[in-house]
Amino acid sequence: MTPRCEPVFRAIDHGLLCCASYLVPERQRAEWRREWKSELWHARQSSSVSSTISWRSEREIAGFCMGAFQDAACLRRFWWQSRRRSAPLHGSAAQCILWLGCLLLVSYGASRLLPRVHMEQDFSSSQALPGTILIQDEAVQYGSIPTMAIDQVRLWQRSSQRYADGFAFYRVTREPVELGPDPDIWRVAEASSNLFAVAGWPLRYAAPQQPNTHDDLPRLVLSLRTWRQQFAADPYVVGTVLRIGAHPARVVGIAPADAWRLPGKADAWLLEPDSAMGRNGLGYVIAHLTRSGRAAMWNGAVRITSYDSRKLEHDFLGKSFEEHAPAPTDIYWFGILLALLALPALATVSLAEYSFTSHKPSRMRRAVRLGFLSLKIVAILWIAYFGSIDLAYWHFPVLSPSGTYIQLAASFAICLFGMRWALLDQRQRCPVCLRRVTHPANVGLVSRMFLAWSGTELICEGGHTLLHVPGLPTSWFGAQRWMLLDSSWDFLFAG
Amino acid sequence: MASPAKLSHTAAMILQAIDAGLVYGFSIMETTGLPSGTVYPAMRRLERDKLICSRWERQSIADAEQRPPRKYYKLTSAGAEALQASRSRYPLLERMIPLAEEKAL
Repeated sequence: MTPRCEPVFRAIDHGLLCCASYLVPERQRAEWRREWKSELWHARQSSSVSSTISWRSEREIAGFCMGAFQDAACLRRFWWQSRRRSAPLHGSAAQCILWLGCLLLVSYGASRLLPRVHMEQDFSSSQALPGTILIQDEAVQYGSIPTMAIDQVRLWQRSSQRYADGFAFYRVTREPVELGPDPDIWRVAEASSNLFAVAGWPLRYAAPQQPNTHDDLPRLVLSLRTWRQQFAADPYVVGTVLRIGAHPARVVGIAPADAWRLPGKADAWLLEPDSAMGRNGLGYVIAHLTRSGRAAMWNGAVRITSYDSRKLEHDFLGKSFEEHAPAPTDIYWFGILLALLALPALATVSLAEYSFTSHKPSRMRRAVRLGFLSLKIVAILWIAYFGSIDLAYWHFPVLSPSGTYIQLAASFAICLFGMRWALLDQRQRCPVCLRRVTHPANVGLVSRMFLAWSGTELICEGGHTLLHVPGLPTSWFGAQRWMLLDSSWDFLFAG
Repeated sequence: MASPAKLSHTAAMILQAIDAGLVYGFSIMETTGLPSGTVYPAMRRLERDKLICSRWERQSIADAEQRPPRKYYKLTSAGAEALQASRSRYPLLERMIPLAEEKAL
Protein backbone atom coordinates (compact mmCIF):
# COMPACT_ATOMS: atom_id res chain seq x y z
CA MET A 1 0.00 0.00 0.00
CA THR A 2 1.40 3.40 -0.86
CA PRO A 3 1.31 6.19 1.74
CA ARG A 4 -1.07 8.03 -0.59
CA CYS A 5 -3.77 5.45 0.13
CA GLU A 6 -3.66 5.91 3.90
CA PRO A 7 -5.88 9.02 4.09
CA VAL A 8 -8.42 7.21 1.94
CA PHE A 9 -8.61 4.31 4.39
CA ARG A 10 -8.80 6.71 7.31
CA ALA A 11 -11.65 8.50 5.62
CA ILE A 12 -13.43 5.18 4.98
CA ASP A 13 -13.04 4.16 8.64
CA HIS A 14 -14.32 7.52 9.85
CA GLY A 15 -17.19 7.32 7.36
CA LEU A 16 -18.17 3.90 8.72
CA LEU A 17 -18.16 5.22 12.28
CA CYS A 18 -20.13 8.26 11.20
CA CYS A 19 -22.76 6.09 9.48
CA ALA A 20 -23.02 3.78 12.47
CA SER A 21 -23.41 6.74 14.82
CA TYR A 22 -26.75 7.59 13.25
CA LEU A 23 -28.12 4.36 14.69
CA VAL A 24 -27.24 5.57 18.18
CA PRO A 25 -29.94 7.59 19.98
CA GLU A 26 -29.23 11.28 19.56
CA ARG A 27 -28.62 11.94 23.25
CA GLN A 28 -25.77 9.40 23.40
CA ARG A 29 -24.38 10.04 19.92
CA ALA A 30 -21.65 12.57 20.74
CA GLU A 31 -20.16 10.48 23.54
CA TRP A 32 -20.42 7.33 21.47
CA ARG A 33 -18.49 8.95 18.60
CA ARG A 34 -15.85 10.21 21.01
CA GLU A 35 -15.33 6.74 22.47
CA TRP A 36 -15.16 5.00 19.09
CA LYS A 37 -12.74 7.57 17.68
CA SER A 38 -10.52 7.00 20.67
CA GLU A 39 -10.79 3.22 20.28
CA LEU A 40 -10.08 3.51 16.54
CA TRP A 41 -6.90 5.44 17.34
CA HIS A 42 -5.78 2.58 19.59
CA ALA A 43 -6.72 -0.02 17.01
CA ARG A 44 -4.73 1.83 14.35
CA GLN A 45 -1.73 2.22 16.67
CA SER A 46 -1.86 -1.45 17.50
CA SER A 47 -2.06 -2.57 13.88
CA SER A 48 0.73 -0.25 12.74
CA VAL A 49 3.07 -1.71 15.40
CA SER A 50 2.27 -5.38 15.07
CA SER A 51 1.31 -5.91 11.47
CA THR A 52 3.69 -5.79 8.55
CA ILE A 53 1.14 -6.36 5.78
CA SER A 54 -0.71 -3.07 5.40
CA TRP A 55 -3.64 -4.40 3.41
CA ARG A 56 -4.29 -6.96 6.07
CA SER A 57 -4.08 -4.39 8.85
CA GLU A 58 -6.46 -2.07 7.02
CA ARG A 59 -8.91 -4.94 6.63
CA GLU A 60 -8.65 -5.64 10.35
CA ILE A 61 -9.31 -1.99 11.15
CA ALA A 62 -12.28 -1.93 8.80
CA GLY A 63 -13.57 -5.08 10.54
CA PHE A 64 -13.10 -3.30 13.85
CA CYS A 65 -15.15 -0.36 12.54
CA MET A 66 -17.90 -2.69 11.34
CA GLY A 67 -18.35 -3.77 14.94
CA ALA A 68 -19.48 -0.22 15.63
CA PHE A 69 -22.74 -0.99 13.79
CA GLN A 70 -23.54 -3.83 16.19
CA ASP A 71 -22.69 -1.61 19.13
CA ALA A 72 -24.88 1.20 17.79
CA ALA A 73 -27.74 -1.21 17.07
CA CYS A 74 -27.45 -2.52 20.63
CA LEU A 75 -27.80 1.02 22.04
CA ARG A 76 -30.77 1.67 19.76
CA ARG A 77 -32.39 -1.54 21.02
CA PHE A 78 -31.94 -0.44 24.62
CA TRP A 79 -33.50 2.88 23.76
CA TRP A 80 -36.54 1.20 22.25
CA GLN A 81 -36.88 -1.10 25.22
CA SER A 82 -36.70 1.79 27.68
CA ARG A 83 -39.23 3.72 25.64
CA ARG A 84 -41.60 0.81 25.61
CA ARG A 85 -41.26 0.37 29.35
CA SER A 86 -41.72 4.05 30.06
CA ALA A 87 -44.61 4.59 27.65
CA PRO A 88 -47.84 4.18 29.65
CA LEU A 89 -49.87 4.09 26.43
CA HIS A 90 -47.92 1.29 24.83
CA GLY A 91 -50.26 -1.40 23.53
CA SER A 92 -53.29 0.26 25.07
CA ALA A 93 -56.63 0.94 23.43
CA ALA A 94 -55.95 4.69 23.69
CA GLN A 95 -52.72 4.31 21.70
CA CYS A 96 -54.54 2.34 19.01
CA ILE A 97 -57.26 4.99 18.74
CA LEU A 98 -54.58 7.71 18.70
CA TRP A 99 -52.80 6.06 15.77
CA LEU A 100 -56.02 5.59 13.85
CA GLY A 101 -56.94 9.22 14.57
CA CYS A 102 -53.56 10.39 13.27
CA LEU A 103 -53.97 8.33 10.09
CA LEU A 104 -57.45 9.71 9.60
CA LEU A 105 -56.19 13.25 10.13
CA VAL A 106 -53.36 12.76 7.63
CA SER A 107 -55.64 11.29 4.96
CA TYR A 108 -58.25 14.00 5.52
CA GLY A 109 -55.58 16.73 5.52
CA ALA A 110 -54.14 15.38 2.26
CA SER A 111 -57.58 15.39 0.68
CA ARG A 112 -57.96 19.07 1.59
CA LEU A 113 -54.43 20.11 0.61
CA LEU A 114 -53.76 18.16 -2.60
CA PRO A 115 -55.09 20.45 -5.32
CA ARG A 116 -56.48 17.76 -7.61
CA VAL A 117 -58.15 15.93 -4.73
CA HIS A 118 -59.61 19.19 -3.58
CA MET A 119 -61.01 19.59 -7.07
CA GLU A 120 -62.62 16.19 -6.72
CA GLN A 121 -64.47 17.50 -3.71
CA ASP A 122 -65.55 20.45 -5.78
CA PHE A 123 -66.80 17.92 -8.25
CA SER A 124 -68.80 16.14 -5.54
CA SER A 125 -70.43 19.42 -4.66
CA SER A 126 -70.96 20.25 -8.31
CA GLN A 127 -72.84 17.12 -9.23
CA ALA A 128 -75.69 17.81 -11.55
CA LEU A 129 -79.07 18.32 -9.93
CA PRO A 130 -81.02 15.10 -9.59
CA GLY A 131 -83.31 14.67 -12.52
CA THR A 132 -81.18 16.52 -15.04
CA ILE A 133 -81.25 14.81 -18.42
CA LEU A 134 -79.60 15.13 -21.79
CA ILE A 135 -82.20 15.07 -24.58
CA GLN A 136 -81.32 13.69 -27.98
CA ASP A 137 -83.06 12.38 -31.02
CA GLU A 138 -84.15 8.83 -30.34
CA ALA A 139 -82.74 7.65 -33.65
CA VAL A 140 -79.17 8.67 -32.86
CA GLN A 141 -76.89 5.83 -31.84
CA TYR A 142 -73.97 7.78 -30.47
CA GLY A 143 -74.52 10.35 -27.74
CA SER A 144 -71.70 12.60 -28.94
CA ILE A 145 -73.43 13.56 -32.20
CA PRO A 146 -75.39 16.83 -31.96
CA THR A 147 -78.98 16.30 -33.11
CA MET A 148 -81.06 19.04 -31.56
CA ALA A 149 -82.09 22.36 -33.10
CA ILE A 150 -82.66 25.56 -31.13
CA ASP A 151 -86.17 25.74 -32.58
CA GLN A 152 -87.17 22.61 -30.71
CA VAL A 153 -86.09 24.22 -27.44
CA ARG A 154 -88.01 27.36 -28.24
CA LEU A 155 -91.07 25.22 -28.95
CA TRP A 156 -90.81 23.46 -25.61
CA GLN A 157 -90.21 26.72 -23.78
CA ARG A 158 -93.28 28.35 -25.31
CA SER A 159 -95.68 25.83 -23.79
CA SER A 160 -95.84 24.54 -20.25
CA GLN A 161 -94.34 21.09 -19.92
CA ARG A 162 -95.50 18.30 -17.66
CA TYR A 163 -92.20 16.47 -17.42
CA ALA A 164 -89.62 19.28 -17.47
CA ASP A 165 -89.37 22.68 -15.82
CA GLY A 166 -86.22 24.00 -17.51
CA PHE A 167 -84.43 23.62 -20.84
CA ALA A 168 -81.01 24.76 -21.97
CA PHE A 169 -79.37 24.45 -25.37
CA TYR A 170 -75.71 24.53 -26.37
CA ARG A 171 -73.63 23.89 -29.47
CA VAL A 172 -69.86 23.84 -29.82
CA THR A 173 -68.06 25.88 -32.45
CA ARG A 174 -64.47 26.95 -32.98
CA GLU A 175 -63.91 30.65 -32.49
CA PRO A 176 -60.80 32.84 -32.55
CA VAL A 177 -60.08 34.51 -29.21
CA GLU A 178 -57.85 37.57 -28.93
CA LEU A 179 -55.49 37.10 -26.03
CA GLY A 180 -52.26 38.41 -27.54
CA PRO A 181 -50.88 39.41 -30.92
CA ASP A 182 -51.97 36.07 -32.42
CA PRO A 183 -55.55 34.95 -31.81
CA ASP A 184 -56.06 31.51 -30.24
CA ILE A 185 -58.69 29.13 -31.49
CA TRP A 186 -60.98 27.94 -28.71
CA ARG A 187 -63.82 25.46 -28.66
CA VAL A 188 -66.61 27.74 -27.53
CA ALA A 189 -69.98 26.38 -26.49
CA GLU A 190 -72.66 28.86 -27.50
CA ALA A 191 -75.21 28.17 -24.79
CA SER A 192 -78.49 29.30 -23.26
CA SER A 193 -77.95 31.73 -20.42
CA ASN A 194 -79.58 29.27 -17.96
CA LEU A 195 -77.28 26.33 -18.84
CA PHE A 196 -75.44 26.21 -15.51
CA ALA A 197 -78.61 26.92 -13.55
CA VAL A 198 -80.45 24.01 -15.18
CA ALA A 199 -77.54 21.63 -14.58
CA GLY A 200 -77.11 22.92 -11.02
CA TRP A 201 -73.36 23.62 -11.29
CA PRO A 202 -72.13 26.55 -9.20
CA LEU A 203 -69.47 28.73 -10.82
CA ARG A 204 -66.10 29.44 -9.22
CA TYR A 205 -65.22 33.06 -8.59
CA ALA A 206 -68.57 33.97 -10.06
CA ALA A 207 -68.87 37.72 -10.58
CA PRO A 208 -71.78 39.12 -8.57
CA GLN A 209 -74.58 40.37 -10.77
CA GLN A 210 -75.14 44.08 -10.24
CA PRO A 211 -78.70 45.12 -11.03
CA ASN A 212 -77.76 48.79 -11.62
CA THR A 213 -75.33 48.11 -14.47
CA HIS A 214 -76.84 47.58 -17.87
CA ASP A 215 -74.24 45.28 -19.31
CA ASP A 216 -75.52 43.87 -22.58
CA LEU A 217 -72.37 41.88 -23.24
CA PRO A 218 -72.76 38.10 -23.52
CA ARG A 219 -71.44 36.28 -20.48
CA LEU A 220 -68.46 33.94 -20.76
CA VAL A 221 -67.63 31.04 -18.44
CA LEU A 222 -64.10 29.62 -18.70
CA SER A 223 -63.28 25.97 -18.22
CA LEU A 224 -60.91 25.25 -15.36
CA ARG A 225 -58.24 23.97 -17.77
CA THR A 226 -58.40 27.11 -19.93
CA TRP A 227 -58.35 29.34 -16.84
CA ARG A 228 -55.20 27.64 -15.64
CA GLN A 229 -53.40 27.33 -18.95
CA GLN A 230 -54.26 30.69 -20.49
CA PHE A 231 -54.64 32.88 -17.40
CA ALA A 232 -52.37 31.15 -14.86
CA ALA A 233 -55.37 30.64 -12.55
CA ASP A 234 -55.69 34.37 -12.00
CA PRO A 235 -59.01 35.03 -10.20
CA TYR A 236 -59.02 38.65 -11.41
CA VAL A 237 -59.75 37.48 -14.94
CA VAL A 238 -63.39 37.33 -13.83
CA GLY A 239 -65.00 40.59 -14.88
CA THR A 240 -62.66 41.28 -17.80
CA VAL A 241 -63.85 41.43 -21.40
CA LEU A 242 -62.54 39.03 -24.03
CA ARG A 243 -63.16 39.15 -27.75
CA ILE A 244 -64.72 35.88 -28.92
CA GLY A 245 -64.92 35.80 -32.70
CA ALA A 246 -66.23 39.18 -33.69
CA HIS A 247 -68.03 39.99 -30.42
CA PRO A 248 -66.87 40.97 -26.96
CA ALA A 249 -67.94 38.91 -23.95
CA ARG A 250 -67.51 39.41 -20.24
CA VAL A 251 -65.95 36.62 -18.15
CA VAL A 252 -68.40 35.86 -15.34
CA GLY A 253 -66.89 32.79 -13.72
CA ILE A 254 -64.95 29.56 -13.90
CA ALA A 255 -66.71 26.25 -14.40
CA PRO A 256 -66.31 23.72 -11.58
CA ALA A 257 -63.53 21.16 -12.06
CA ASP A 258 -64.36 18.33 -14.40
CA ALA A 259 -68.05 18.88 -13.85
CA TRP A 260 -68.68 18.92 -17.55
CA ARG A 261 -69.74 15.40 -18.32
CA LEU A 262 -71.86 16.21 -21.35
CA PRO A 263 -70.92 15.60 -24.98
CA GLY A 264 -69.00 18.36 -26.72
CA LYS A 265 -65.87 19.48 -24.89
CA ALA A 266 -65.51 23.23 -24.60
CA ASP A 267 -62.81 25.68 -23.51
CA ALA A 268 -65.43 28.28 -22.65
CA TRP A 269 -69.20 28.71 -22.58
CA LEU A 270 -70.71 31.80 -24.16
CA LEU A 271 -74.01 32.34 -22.38
CA GLU A 272 -76.65 34.34 -24.20
CA PRO A 273 -80.45 34.40 -24.37
CA ASP A 274 -82.04 31.77 -26.61
CA SER A 275 -83.58 34.53 -28.70
CA ALA A 276 -80.12 35.82 -29.57
CA MET A 277 -78.88 32.45 -30.82
CA GLY A 278 -78.86 31.78 -34.54
CA ARG A 279 -81.01 29.01 -35.98
CA ASN A 280 -78.18 27.36 -37.88
CA GLY A 281 -76.30 24.44 -36.41
CA LEU A 282 -77.33 21.48 -34.31
CA GLY A 283 -76.47 21.11 -30.67
CA TYR A 284 -77.45 19.42 -27.43
CA VAL A 285 -80.32 20.04 -25.03
CA ILE A 286 -80.35 19.49 -21.30
CA ALA A 287 -83.48 19.67 -19.22
CA HIS A 288 -84.48 19.44 -15.60
CA LEU A 289 -87.31 17.01 -14.92
CA THR A 290 -90.28 17.69 -12.71
CA ARG A 291 -91.35 15.18 -10.09
CA SER A 292 -93.72 13.48 -12.53
CA GLY A 293 -90.96 13.47 -15.14
CA ARG A 294 -88.65 11.71 -12.71
CA ALA A 295 -91.39 9.21 -11.91
CA ALA A 296 -91.72 8.46 -15.62
CA MET A 297 -88.02 7.60 -15.90
CA TRP A 298 -87.19 3.99 -16.44
CA ASN A 299 -83.68 2.57 -16.46
CA GLY A 300 -82.18 6.06 -16.34
CA ALA A 301 -84.04 7.31 -19.42
CA VAL A 302 -87.31 8.95 -20.32
CA ARG A 303 -89.03 8.96 -23.72
CA ILE A 304 -90.31 12.34 -24.91
CA THR A 305 -92.73 12.82 -27.78
CA SER A 306 -93.12 16.24 -29.34
CA TYR A 307 -95.41 17.57 -32.07
CA ASP A 308 -94.38 20.37 -34.37
CA SER A 309 -96.60 23.03 -35.95
CA ARG A 310 -97.61 20.58 -38.68
CA LYS A 311 -98.66 18.03 -35.99
CA LEU A 312 -95.83 15.74 -36.96
CA GLU A 313 -94.58 13.47 -34.19
CA HIS A 314 -90.91 13.53 -33.11
CA ASP A 315 -89.48 11.11 -30.58
CA PHE A 316 -86.64 12.05 -28.27
CA LEU A 317 -84.83 10.24 -25.52
CA GLY A 318 -83.77 11.94 -22.30
CA LYS A 319 -80.87 10.22 -20.52
CA SER A 320 -80.01 10.83 -16.92
CA PHE A 321 -76.54 12.25 -16.16
CA GLU A 322 -76.01 9.82 -13.30
CA GLU A 323 -75.66 6.81 -15.53
CA HIS A 324 -72.64 8.19 -17.38
CA ALA A 325 -70.10 7.99 -14.60
CA PRO A 326 -70.26 6.71 -11.06
CA ALA A 327 -69.49 9.26 -8.37
CA PRO A 328 -66.44 8.67 -6.13
CA THR A 329 -68.72 7.78 -3.20
CA ASP A 330 -70.40 5.08 -5.31
CA ILE A 331 -67.00 3.62 -6.19
CA TYR A 332 -66.03 3.72 -2.52
CA TRP A 333 -69.15 1.84 -1.42
CA PHE A 334 -68.59 -0.74 -4.12
CA GLY A 335 -65.00 -1.19 -2.86
CA ILE A 336 -66.33 -1.75 0.68
CA LEU A 337 -68.84 -4.30 -0.56
CA LEU A 338 -66.07 -6.24 -2.33
CA ALA A 339 -63.86 -6.04 0.77
CA LEU A 340 -66.65 -7.39 2.99
CA LEU A 341 -67.16 -10.28 0.59
CA ALA A 342 -63.44 -11.06 0.49
CA LEU A 343 -62.81 -10.66 4.24
CA PRO A 344 -63.84 -14.22 5.30
CA ALA A 345 -61.18 -15.59 2.94
CA LEU A 346 -58.45 -13.70 4.79
CA ALA A 347 -59.50 -13.85 8.42
CA THR A 348 -62.01 -15.59 10.64
CA VAL A 349 -64.77 -13.06 10.98
CA SER A 350 -66.50 -14.72 13.92
CA LEU A 351 -65.70 -13.41 17.38
CA ALA A 352 -67.36 -16.41 19.01
CA GLU A 353 -64.04 -18.15 19.56
CA TYR A 354 -63.53 -16.24 22.79
CA SER A 355 -64.30 -18.99 25.20
CA PHE A 356 -63.32 -18.32 28.76
CA THR A 357 -62.13 -21.21 30.82
CA SER A 358 -63.03 -19.52 34.09
CA HIS A 359 -65.09 -16.40 34.85
CA LYS A 360 -66.57 -14.39 32.05
CA PRO A 361 -66.10 -10.62 31.87
CA SER A 362 -69.12 -8.51 32.77
CA ARG A 363 -71.62 -7.32 30.18
CA MET A 364 -70.32 -3.82 30.54
CA ARG A 365 -66.78 -4.90 29.68
CA ARG A 366 -68.04 -6.90 26.71
CA ALA A 367 -69.97 -3.85 25.50
CA VAL A 368 -66.85 -1.67 25.83
CA ARG A 369 -64.87 -4.28 23.90
CA LEU A 370 -67.48 -4.34 21.13
CA GLY A 371 -67.57 -0.54 21.08
CA PHE A 372 -63.80 -0.47 20.68
CA LEU A 373 -64.00 -2.83 17.70
CA SER A 374 -66.76 -0.72 16.14
CA LEU A 375 -64.71 2.45 16.63
CA LYS A 376 -61.73 0.87 14.88
CA ILE A 377 -63.86 -0.25 11.95
CA VAL A 378 -65.50 3.18 11.58
CA ALA A 379 -62.07 4.86 11.65
CA ILE A 380 -60.78 2.40 9.02
CA LEU A 381 -63.77 3.11 6.76
CA TRP A 382 -63.11 6.86 6.94
CA ILE A 383 -59.40 6.34 6.36
CA ALA A 384 -60.25 4.16 3.36
CA TYR A 385 -62.54 6.87 1.98
CA PHE A 386 -60.09 9.74 2.24
CA GLY A 387 -57.04 7.55 1.51
CA SER A 388 -58.55 6.11 -1.67
CA ILE A 389 -59.53 9.56 -2.92
CA ASP A 390 -56.03 10.88 -2.16
CA LEU A 391 -54.38 8.01 -4.00
CA ALA A 392 -56.73 8.09 -6.96
CA TYR A 393 -56.99 11.79 -7.68
CA TRP A 394 -53.65 13.32 -6.62
CA HIS A 395 -52.44 12.65 -10.16
CA PHE A 396 -55.34 11.51 -12.31
CA PRO A 397 -58.33 13.69 -13.13
CA VAL A 398 -61.75 12.95 -11.73
CA LEU A 399 -63.85 10.54 -13.80
CA SER A 400 -60.80 9.34 -15.72
CA PRO A 401 -60.74 5.53 -15.97
CA SER A 402 -57.35 5.36 -14.22
CA GLY A 403 -58.57 7.45 -11.28
CA THR A 404 -61.72 5.34 -10.97
CA TYR A 405 -59.80 2.05 -11.01
CA ILE A 406 -57.23 3.30 -8.52
CA GLN A 407 -59.94 4.52 -6.18
CA LEU A 408 -61.74 1.20 -6.37
CA ALA A 409 -58.54 -0.79 -5.80
CA ALA A 410 -57.40 1.49 -2.95
CA SER A 411 -60.71 1.52 -1.11
CA PHE A 412 -60.97 -2.27 -1.51
CA ALA A 413 -57.41 -2.90 -0.27
CA ILE A 414 -57.55 -0.43 2.64
CA CYS A 415 -60.92 -1.76 3.81
CA LEU A 416 -59.95 -5.41 3.41
CA PHE A 417 -56.59 -5.28 5.14
CA GLY A 418 -57.75 -2.67 7.63
CA MET A 419 -60.68 -4.77 8.79
CA ARG A 420 -58.50 -7.88 8.87
CA TRP A 421 -56.08 -6.00 11.12
CA ALA A 422 -58.96 -4.79 13.32
CA LEU A 423 -60.19 -8.35 13.84
CA LEU A 424 -56.74 -9.83 14.49
CA ASP A 425 -55.92 -6.96 16.84
CA GLN A 426 -59.18 -7.47 18.68
CA ARG A 427 -58.37 -11.11 19.32
CA GLN A 428 -55.15 -10.15 21.07
CA ARG A 429 -56.66 -7.53 23.37
CA CYS A 430 -57.25 -8.33 26.99
CA PRO A 431 -61.03 -8.45 27.55
CA VAL A 432 -60.61 -6.57 30.83
CA CYS A 433 -58.31 -3.62 30.01
CA LEU A 434 -58.18 -3.80 26.17
CA ARG A 435 -54.36 -3.81 26.20
CA ARG A 436 -52.58 -6.07 23.75
CA VAL A 437 -51.30 -9.24 25.38
CA THR A 438 -47.51 -9.58 25.26
CA HIS A 439 -44.57 -11.85 26.12
CA PRO A 440 -45.41 -14.81 23.87
CA ALA A 441 -44.07 -18.11 25.17
CA ASN A 442 -44.11 -21.47 23.44
CA VAL A 443 -45.65 -24.14 25.61
CA GLY A 444 -45.49 -27.89 25.02
CA LEU A 445 -44.43 -29.86 21.98
CA VAL A 446 -46.49 -30.55 18.91
CA SER A 447 -45.25 -34.16 18.92
CA ARG A 448 -46.86 -34.64 22.34
CA MET A 449 -50.14 -33.06 21.50
CA PHE A 450 -52.09 -36.12 22.68
CA LEU A 451 -50.61 -35.76 26.17
CA ALA A 452 -50.90 -32.01 26.62
CA TRP A 453 -51.72 -28.95 24.59
CA SER A 454 -49.03 -27.11 22.72
CA GLY A 455 -49.09 -23.60 21.43
CA THR A 456 -48.36 -20.04 22.46
CA GLU A 457 -49.20 -18.41 25.75
CA LEU A 458 -49.49 -14.64 26.04
CA ILE A 459 -50.08 -12.53 29.11
CA CYS A 460 -51.72 -9.19 29.78
CA GLU A 461 -49.21 -6.69 31.20
CA GLY A 462 -51.84 -5.51 33.63
CA GLY A 463 -52.09 -9.03 35.04
CA HIS A 464 -55.73 -9.57 34.08
CA THR A 465 -55.63 -12.46 31.63
CA LEU A 466 -53.66 -15.24 29.98
CA LEU A 467 -54.30 -16.10 26.35
CA HIS A 468 -53.72 -19.63 25.10
CA VAL A 469 -53.41 -19.97 21.33
CA PRO A 470 -53.16 -23.59 20.15
CA GLY A 471 -50.28 -24.30 17.77
CA LEU A 472 -52.26 -26.98 16.01
CA PRO A 473 -56.04 -26.72 16.37
CA THR A 474 -57.58 -29.96 17.60
CA SER A 475 -61.12 -31.09 18.33
CA TRP A 476 -60.63 -30.36 22.06
CA PHE A 477 -58.65 -27.14 21.64
CA GLY A 478 -59.59 -25.57 18.37
CA ALA A 479 -59.70 -21.87 19.17
CA GLN A 480 -57.83 -19.52 21.46
CA ARG A 481 -58.88 -19.37 25.08
CA TRP A 482 -58.73 -16.64 27.65
CA MET A 483 -58.02 -17.33 31.28
CA LEU A 484 -58.93 -14.62 33.75
CA LEU A 485 -56.25 -14.36 36.45
CA ASP A 486 -57.52 -14.10 40.00
CA SER A 487 -55.81 -12.41 42.95
CA SER A 488 -53.51 -15.40 43.53
CA TRP A 489 -51.49 -14.19 40.51
CA ASP A 490 -50.96 -10.71 41.94
CA PHE A 491 -47.48 -11.45 43.31
CA LEU A 492 -46.22 -11.87 39.73
CA PHE A 493 -47.14 -8.28 38.89
CA ALA A 494 -46.17 -6.66 42.18
CA GLY A 495 -43.92 -3.62 41.75
CA MET B 1 -30.69 -11.55 49.18
CA ALA B 2 -31.16 -12.17 45.50
CA SER B 3 -28.59 -14.48 43.89
CA PRO B 4 -26.20 -12.81 41.41
CA ALA B 5 -27.26 -12.96 37.78
CA LYS B 6 -25.86 -15.82 35.72
CA LEU B 7 -23.53 -14.42 33.09
CA SER B 8 -22.71 -15.76 29.67
CA HIS B 9 -19.14 -16.87 29.04
CA THR B 10 -18.45 -13.76 26.98
CA ALA B 11 -19.75 -11.43 29.70
CA ALA B 12 -17.74 -13.32 32.32
CA MET B 13 -14.58 -12.98 30.19
CA ILE B 14 -15.13 -9.25 29.86
CA LEU B 15 -15.70 -8.86 33.59
CA GLN B 16 -12.56 -10.88 34.27
CA ALA B 17 -10.61 -8.67 31.85
CA ILE B 18 -11.85 -5.53 33.57
CA ASP B 19 -10.99 -7.00 36.95
CA ALA B 20 -7.53 -7.82 35.63
CA GLY B 21 -6.95 -4.13 35.07
CA LEU B 22 -7.53 -3.97 31.33
CA VAL B 23 -10.01 -1.22 31.49
CA TYR B 24 -10.79 0.33 28.11
CA GLY B 25 -12.60 -1.25 25.19
CA PHE B 26 -9.77 -2.01 22.80
CA SER B 27 -7.54 -3.47 25.51
CA ILE B 28 -10.37 -5.80 26.55
CA MET B 29 -10.80 -6.79 22.91
CA GLU B 30 -7.13 -7.62 22.55
CA THR B 31 -6.98 -9.64 25.74
CA THR B 32 -10.13 -11.65 25.22
CA GLY B 33 -9.63 -12.07 21.46
CA LEU B 34 -13.29 -11.24 20.92
CA PRO B 35 -14.31 -9.04 17.96
CA SER B 36 -15.41 -5.45 18.46
CA GLY B 37 -18.99 -6.33 17.47
CA THR B 38 -19.17 -8.65 20.49
CA VAL B 39 -17.15 -6.77 23.11
CA TYR B 40 -18.75 -3.34 22.92
CA PRO B 41 -22.42 -4.46 22.93
CA ALA B 42 -21.62 -6.84 25.81
CA MET B 43 -20.07 -3.96 27.75
CA ARG B 44 -23.18 -1.85 27.10
CA ARG B 45 -25.33 -4.61 28.55
CA LEU B 46 -23.08 -4.98 31.57
CA GLU B 47 -23.17 -1.23 32.13
CA ARG B 48 -26.96 -1.19 31.77
CA ASP B 49 -27.22 -3.98 34.34
CA LYS B 50 -24.94 -1.93 36.63
CA LEU B 51 -22.24 -4.61 36.76
CA ILE B 52 -19.64 -2.18 35.44
CA CYS B 53 -19.42 1.61 35.35
CA SER B 54 -17.42 3.95 33.16
CA ARG B 55 -15.61 7.27 33.42
CA TRP B 56 -13.60 9.39 30.99
CA GLU B 57 -9.92 9.88 31.51
CA ARG B 58 -8.76 13.44 32.23
CA GLN B 59 -7.78 15.33 29.08
CA SER B 60 -4.47 16.45 30.61
CA ILE B 61 -3.33 12.84 31.07
CA ALA B 62 -4.25 11.98 27.49
CA ASP B 63 -2.49 15.11 26.22
CA ALA B 64 0.63 14.22 28.16
CA GLU B 65 0.71 10.82 26.47
CA GLN B 66 -0.22 12.33 23.08
CA ARG B 67 -3.32 10.20 22.47
CA PRO B 68 -7.08 10.68 22.69
CA PRO B 69 -8.64 10.24 26.14
CA ARG B 70 -9.85 6.77 27.03
CA LYS B 71 -13.12 5.69 28.51
CA TYR B 72 -12.25 3.47 31.45
CA TYR B 73 -14.47 0.76 32.86
CA LYS B 74 -14.42 -0.72 36.35
CA LEU B 75 -16.43 -3.32 38.22
CA THR B 76 -19.19 -2.31 40.58
CA SER B 77 -19.81 -4.29 43.74
CA ALA B 78 -22.63 -6.16 41.98
CA GLY B 79 -20.24 -6.87 39.10
CA ALA B 80 -17.61 -8.20 41.48
CA GLU B 81 -20.18 -10.54 43.01
CA ALA B 82 -21.34 -11.70 39.62
CA LEU B 83 -17.75 -12.34 38.57
CA GLN B 84 -17.08 -14.31 41.72
CA ALA B 85 -20.08 -16.52 40.96
CA SER B 86 -18.94 -16.89 37.35
CA ARG B 87 -15.49 -18.01 38.33
CA SER B 88 -16.94 -21.09 39.99
CA ARG B 89 -19.11 -21.65 36.93
CA TYR B 90 -16.25 -21.18 34.44
CA PRO B 91 -13.12 -22.48 36.24
CA LEU B 92 -10.79 -21.73 33.31
CA LEU B 93 -11.63 -18.05 33.37
CA GLU B 94 -8.79 -17.08 35.67
CA ARG B 95 -6.29 -19.10 33.66
CA MET B 96 -7.35 -17.45 30.43
CA ILE B 97 -7.10 -13.93 31.83
CA PRO B 98 -4.91 -13.85 34.91
CA LEU B 99 -5.23 -10.94 37.32
CA ALA B 100 -2.54 -8.24 37.38
CA GLU B 101 -1.01 -9.36 40.67
CA GLU B 102 -0.88 -12.97 39.45
CA LYS B 103 0.93 -11.78 36.33
CA ALA B 104 3.47 -9.92 38.46
CA LEU B 105 4.28 -13.13 40.32
